[in-house]
Amino acid sequence: MLQVTLRSCFCVMVNAIKGLLISCDIPMAQFIIYLDNSLPTSQKFIIHILDSTHLFVQPHVSEMIRSAIAEFRDQNSYEKPS
Amino acid sequence: MAGGDKGRPSKKHKSSSAKEDRRATVVDDEDAYYAEELDDDYRGEGKKRDFSKLELKPDHVNRPLWACADGRIFLETFSPLYKQAYDFLIAIAEPVLKKLLKDGVIAAARIISEGVHGSDGFAIGKSLGELENGHSELLNEAELAAAAEEKETHSFEVDPAQVENVKQRCLPNALNYPMLEEYDFRNDTVNPDLDMELKPQAQPRPYQEKSLSKMFGNGRARSGIIVLPCGAGKSLVGVSAASRIKKSCLCLATNAVSVDQWAFQFKLWSTIRDEQICRFTSDNKEIFRGNAGVVVTTYNMVAFGGKRSEESEKIIEEIRNREWGLLLMDEVHVVPAHMFRKVISITKSHCKLGLTATLVREDERITDLNFLIGPKLYEANWLDLVKGGFIANVQCAEVWCPMTKEFFAEYLKKENSKKRQALYVMNPNKFRACEFLIRFHEQQRGDKIIVFADNLFALVEYATKLRKPMIYGATSHVERTKILDTFKHSRNVNTIFLSKVGDNSIDIPEANVIIQISSHAGSRRQEAQRLGRILRAKGRIQDRVAGGKEEYNAFFYSLVSTDTQVITSLPPPDTGADLSYHRLDEQIALLGKVLSVGDDAVGLELLEEDPDDIALHKTTRRAGSMSAMSGAKGMIYMEYNSGRNKQHGQKKAKPKDPTKRHDLFRKRFV
Repeated sequence: MLQVTLRSCFCVMVNAIKGLLISCDIPMAQFIIYLDNSLPTSQKFIIHILDSTHLFVQPHVSEMIRSAIAEFRDQNSYEKPS
Repeated sequence: MAGGDKGRPSKKHKSSSAKEDRRATVVDDEDAYYAEELDDDYRGEGKKRDFSKLELKPDHVNRPLWACADGRIFLETFSPLYKQAYDFLIAIAEPVLKKLLKDGVIAAARIISEGVHGSDGFAIGKSLGELENGHSELLNEAELAAAAEEKETHSFEVDPAQVENVKQRCLPNALNYPMLEEYDFRNDTVNPDLDMELKPQAQPRPYQEKSLSKMFGNGRARSGIIVLPCGAGKSLVGVSAASRIKKSCLCLATNAVSVDQWAFQFKLWSTIRDEQICRFTSDNKEIFRGNAGVVVTTYNMVAFGGKRSEESEKIIEEIRNREWGLLLMDEVHVVPAHMFRKVISITKSHCKLGLTATLVREDERITDLNFLIGPKLYEANWLDLVKGGFIANVQCAEVWCPMTKEFFAEYLKKENSKKRQALYVMNPNKFRACEFLIRFHEQQRGDKIIVFADNLFALVEYATKLRKPMIYGATSHVERTKILDTFKHSRNVNTIFLSKVGDNSIDIPEANVIIQISSHAGSRRQEAQRLGRILRAKGRIQDRVAGGKEEYNAFFYSLVSTDTQVITSLPPPDTGADLSYHRLDEQIALLGKVLSVGDDAVGLELLEEDPDDIALHKTTRRAGSMSAMSGAKGMIYMEYNSGRNKQHGQKKAKPKDPTKRHDLFRKRFV
């Protein structure tokens, strides 16, 4: 459901940019876009929104995205208070 | 049941084949068992013991009980003697008598000391006609022989005002002397008899008989709680109890609809005459005539503290002044403890019988039932009832509906935090799944469907879009009755939408499919109650028992928008435009609608009493707080859960033989 595959690839155009291709389901893509929007301009990491399930992002953000998703998921799961 | 905790069958070591293995398993399980849930002081002992080297008795096959040194007893459920041993355990676990009067609280509550009777019976307090028995700790297997000889009875009368204190004092956290409240109704000549019998066609099922025999164990009526799954026939148990006691009976239900249903059940099962039964609700004030009869009313009507009309004041005065033989309380798990206290203090009753399907609450207050009503007298094993075909076998499924792009983008925005619930409930994919399920069950199986939505906005939207009738808090009693009636009898109305009000007590025996579009997600009680709406077994009995034609004849779906609340894919991708919200612009229009309504409108429906709210406040939800005395330490419910999970698991964890799976699941199993 929430699998995020991070694949290294090169986008070979006139300017080659090294980045990560993220493919995930629709809601998760929205979450990453939301995350990107909440950051100041200097830290924005999305290079291209390819379609509703694919994003092209800066290569160094994979860990950050993973931890943000983990945090988000934790919020949503009911934890039995001890 | 005093010995419920000990008598609980341990199902853990079911599978082992050789006795040697089994013995080892017992020991191992014990360790695990202690680690899981026992108090710390027990934990240490459990580890030390290893009896696996001991010689087994040659006839050990016929000895299904294992008594351990700490007083814990294990019962082998696979033994051929399981049933007998189970009954035996329950029988001997009843308390023996010992002196209680040393305790300060109880001594203070005592009115006249009658000294010690050497006789075998109980003395009856004349003014109350009921008796508080002080009891000693439970029996160990080893003490059994000694106890059989010790048949001394001590009796004393308790000040009526102090009854609750005495009961509280006897709870495990104080004296730990389980006690029972009994009513010797046969020898009660003070109160007039009520002429009612069970009709001959009322045939209690075996487990109903058993629960009644626990209540009327020694010719007296015991106060306590009977736990039967929804749909297993609680009302018949209540009516049978009333017609066995044959005294005036006050029956309390949770709302006006179930008051009507109770009155109907009384007329249906017993020979009570119409003028002997009356309903007392805000719309329906029937005056009570004669010197004995049945009054059916709601908790609210009795406990109401404000000003009443002259008419109802009269009736309530009548209820207050009368001595009731039986106080029959339906759905005891929903009513808050203070309400009970009030009801019990207002009414004078000799015997209290609580009926419930779910002896769990997300708060701690279920323990209060113990001294307010009494211990649990009987609890039916859910799985056994399913096997016997007495209640429906339910296929449970959680349907995951991914959020659409637009909805999820809005969901994430901080300014929409209050609308989050509305957004995930109105998720178009969820709507489509719901519509698909309704269509599938209506058209292909001819089922009757209930859709539950806690969220009022969603309820209204769904119901209007799909053009189905709905019932929520504001729906008047007359309209509710009308809708339910059409649902029951009309072929054209096969689906109704219910809000939280439908969780309890609305009797809809016809329904066999439930779809939850929004739920509380933290309340075991709510799910169990909703599940109960469809548990009443339908169809022919031979089809229902295990291995029959239709293994599953009831369905329970929870629709969950993924990535919103905790935890298939429906509808199948090939269904296109025939379901609603297929096109993007429709979806966006819906989104606009959700966003434009005020925050209040999209919130949860607020009911006056809402036992589930407590869990949302992230309160302590401690496992095993239930006193051992009632035996409902959650263990029994774990057993239920394992039953439900098993059905669950067929879809999730271990797919079972695909040919046995129901059509809907066979085609769309993921």
